Amino acid sequence: MSKIIRKAPTEPFKPQPDDDLIICRCEEITKGEIRRAVHDGLRTVNEIKRWTRAGMGLCQGQTCQRNVQNIIARELGISVADVGMITGRAPVRPVVMEVYANDVVDKEEQR
Amino acid sequence: MKRYEVIVIGAGPAGLSAAAEAAKKGMKVAVFDENAGPGGQLFKQIHKFFGSRANNARMRGFKIGRKLLKEAEENGVEVFLNAVVTGIFEEKEVMVRIDDTVHHYKADYIVIATGAAENMVPFKGWDKPGVMGAGASQALMHLQGVRPGRKVLVVGSGNVGLIVAFQICQVGCDLVAVLDAAPRVGGYGVHASKITRTGVPFLTSHTIIEAKGDDHVESAVIAEVDDHFTPIPGTEKEIEVDTVLLAVGLTPMNQLASNAGCRVEYQEQNGRLSPVTIVDEYGETTMSGIYCCGDSAKETAEGASSAMLQGKIAAEHIAADAGYTTEADAEEKAEEYRKTLDQLSGGMFDVKNKGRMDISTTEEGYPISQSLLRHGYITAEELKGFPAASYEADGPHPVIECTQNIPCNPCRDVCPAGLIHVAEDITRIPEIDYSQKCTNCGMCVTNCPGQAIFIVDNDYEPGYATVSLPYEFLPYPEKGDKGKALDRSGTPVCDAEIVSVRTARAMDNTAFLTMKVPAEFADTARFFRKG
Amino acid sequence: MDSDMRIWEHPVLGKYEKYEEPKVLHFTLDGKDMTGYEGDSVAAALKAAGVMTHRYTAKNHRPRGIFCAIGRCTDCVMIVNGQPNVRTCITPLEEGMELRTQYGVQTKEEWEAENDEEI
Repeated sequence: MSKIIRKAPTEPFKPQPDDDLIICRCEEITKGEIRRAVHDGLRTVNEIKRWTRAGMGLCQGQTCQRNVQNIIARELGISVADVGMITGRAPVRPVVMEVYANDVVDKEEQR
Repeated sequence: MKRYEVIVIGAGPAGLSAAAEAAKKGMKVAVFDENAGPGGQLFKQIHKFFGSRANNARMRGFKIGRKLLKEAEENGVEVFLNAVVTGIFEEKEVMVRIDDTVHHYKADYIVIATGAAENMVPFKGWDKPGVMGAGASQALMHLQGVRPGRKVLVVGSGNVGLIVAFQICQVGCDLVAVLDAAPRVGGYGVHASKITRTGVPFLTSHTIIEAKGDDHVESAVIAEVDDHFTPIPGTEKEIEVDTVLLAVGLTPMNQLASNAGCRVEYQEQNGRLSPVTIVDEYGETTMSGIYCCGDSAKETAEGASSAMLQGKIAAEHIAADAGYTTEADAEEKAEEYRKTLDQLSGGMFDVKNKGRMDISTTEEGYPISQSLLRHGYITAEELKGFPAASYEADGPHPVIECTQNIPCNPCRDVCPAGLIHVAEDITRIPEIDYSQKCTNCGMCVTNCPGQAIFIVDNDYEPGYATVSLPYEFLPYPEKGDKGKALDRSGTPVCDAEIVSVRTARAMDNTAFLTMKVPAEFADTARFFRKG
Repeated sequence: MDSDMRIWEHPVLGKYEKYEEPKVLHFTLDGKDMTGYEGDSVAAALKAAGVMTHRYTAKNHRPRGIFCAIGRCTDCVMIVNGQPNVRTCITPLEEGMELRTQYGVQTKEEWEAENDEEI
């Protein structure tokens, strides 16, 4: 269940010197882009994921989730616990689309 | 559709233990693991484990892995490797990718034991080739037999960072430094000490600012930080390295638990927040019949050892629920495992104390070495007050430089002379009964997982003493080799000559090195460097 | 071939199984002949051969290499036998493998042709 965060950034977006820092390695999303998104009205880590693609790449946010959470929390002045987590979804590991077509039905051996 | 009574996800310590235990009770069990080899991270672990005998203490991680795997297989567990569980669906349907196909399995019970992922800290250039997780270097070194780099910087001084840093030295890489943004070494002091005495500096209150290099890392810029972890301008230093290893903590891999609908939430401990999969005292999640144990549920002290016990507890509960054992029996067993689990907690490194900076004495009231926390070694002066570090005894006798409350007692178990005592609460500091005679067998020295025991003989020859130490580097020095003795800080202090090098099966690849030093250095000489 | 990146003998692990009677495997990286040993992952063979860059990212063309080495981070992906996005750290090296440095999800030539610019 996604959280509702009713807190908005208290100050307008101000550029920071390390805004060009890559946070999501897979999708190459920077700290600045994530901060910008918070100011654009996105709040939870799931919202940020869908808006910026941070955490939507091949690794599914395994590397960047914690760092994205920290950035949102700091930007909103709230606890990381309130930013929420990326909803675990199947497939939790990368699967080539072609493989999905190779659905095998294993049957119990008749005894 | 193929059905198993128990499906375990993850063939690491928690998963294999749960599987073996459930199978022992007669249940039909399958384990799926995404890796080509079983054991989870155990096969990357080559250090001797802490804890007590019940926790496989002083056994190296990869050997525990072999033992677990054998146990699982002997009990009829089906272990599927290269089998990636990609989702858990309603009514315990498990989707598994095996090679280029997708399979579906049904289970009565599911055990999620997917372990943890390494945290990463972003800094300028952190995505350059050459910056990698500490665990990555272990995979390269211990599974692939390949060095991760030539000149290495380790970021993070928790136990993972310390263990990996030592392993980097063991494979002959040049470990340039271990740094930590905190003002103190995060992991066990004994782990830090065995690195420091080889001459590697600890840089506490330091952080990495940038990894530089065109196509890969060629240098790292580090700087001192203030109390708020902000780099202090003007303290930047550029050091030549080709590899930066990040060891900044672990986060449970809870995607599958979350996907299955189990409650996962953040919990706070000492100001640190960690995602935790909510489980009861048996490891059952908020979804009936779905269990979660080991690092995938939450962070614990001595992760792998705790994971194995948690796996066993879950299996007991599952077996009782399915009617393979009685509830009373299951509870009795679980209680026994919980007691062993409890042994691993307590002391300043317990998870509940993590991040606390205000612990200044041991549980016994001994002052904790500030030098050890700050620089990674205890001073001879600070060591004097500890009960197992006396130089007064005649002939060879152990000097135990174990000065923090960590859960461990193999020194007591291996001493044939009964000199060494560790209380029932194994986090207590060891004591020595100097009225007993040390046989100089070297078992305590070579079996101490922290490599914190030395045997000192003050009157080896007139004017000379010997110091015997654990040694896990190649090549071993030989009898007659001359060189320098290094003190606890890694500074050469005097000439030294090797008088014996002993190895034995019971020492398990830790050599027992004895060096002769001028008598006045008996309490400072702690490492040998040839030449 | 004898790379100084190989750990021929380890103080704890002794001699690695794959180095007991090492079997040399031949492969190519961007057309260049290279060798590794049976038992190597693709990533380990490259590391031993001194190759650090496995790919360049799609957006910013940043070099990437081994990061987690256990198949989770997907940073070390390359084009292996024509298939892009293959995690080299968990893919065993095979005789005759053709590896290509990955640009975005393409080979350098494909990328240059599509984007009409040279890298």
